[in-house]
Amino acid sequence: MGLFGVLDISAAGMDAQQARLEVAAANLANAQTTGTRGASLYKPLTVVLHSDMPKGAQSVAGLTADSLPRPVVAQTVEMDVTPRLVYDPGHPDADARGFVAMPGVDPIASMLDLISISRSYEANLRAFDVTRALLQRTLDAGSHR
Amino acid sequence: MSILESQPVFAALSQALDVAALRQAVHTANIANAGVPGYRRLEVIVDSQVQASSSEPPDWDTGASPAGARVVQTAADTVKLDKEMALMAKDATRYQALLSAFERTASLLQLAIREGKEG
Repeated sequence: MGLFGVLDISAAGMDAQQARLEVAAANLANAQTTGTRGASLYKPLTVVLHSDMPKGAQSVAGLTADSLPRPVVAQTVEMDVTPRLVYDPGHPDADARGFVAMPGVDPIASMLDLISISRSYEANLRAFDVTRALLQRTLDAGSHR
Repeated sequence: MSILESQPVFAALSQALDVAALRQAVHTANIANAGVPGYRRLEVIVDSQVQASSSEPPDWDTGASPAGARVVQTAADTVKLDKEMALMAKDATRYQALLSAFERTASLLQLAIREGKEG
C-alpha cells in the first residue's frame, strides 16, 4: 500500500473529465452544422463513465490504496435526439418547406456540463496536489534535525 | 522486527500513518469517481486495538494503535465534492501531524544516541 498509486487515481479522474470536456466542446462547435453533401447530420455525443473496480472484486471488502475504483470512459455514444428545425428558405440544405435540420444540441445543458467538468477537474487536481504534498513531506521527514 | 518497530511509539505511529494514507487514497478515489453513475462513496473504518471492556487504561508499552482499517461502501450515498474536499484537507492535516510526531520522537531517540550532546 502506498501513496504513489493514489496519484494514478487522480490522473484517471482528470482523464475522464478531459473526455467529457472534448465531447462538450465538440457538441457546441457542431451545433450549427447541417448534413450537407451527403454527410449525415451531426448527432450530439455523450460520454459514459464507469467506475473500474479491481478484477474479481464485486464488493469493496479488502480494498487497499492500490485497488480503489477509478473512473474510466466506457464509451462515447451518439444521443438519439430529434434534430432542430430552423426556418431558413435561402439555405442550400433547406427542405421543400424551407426548414434546415440542425443537430439537437442543447446549448444550456452543454454550458452547465462545462461548469461541472471544470469543478470536477479542479477537485481532482487539488487531490493530486495534496497527495503530492504528503509524499514530499514524508520524504522530508527526518532529513533535517 | 526492525529497531524502529521495536519501539512501541514508532509502531503505533507507523500504523496510524498507514491509516491516514489509506484515508487520503479513499478521498482521492471518491473525488475521481464523483458523478459516475452507480458509484457510492467509500469510507475508512478503523477498529481500535484498545479493548472497550478493559477497565484499565491502555498500557504505555503496548500502546493503543489503530488496527484493521477497512474500506466500506456507504449505503446509497453519492459523493458531494465540497464535503469530500473538506474531509480530505482535515485528514491531510492529521497525516502531517502524525509525521511531526514521528520526527520529534525520532529526534529524541537521536539525542539519546548522541548521549545528550547537541549537534
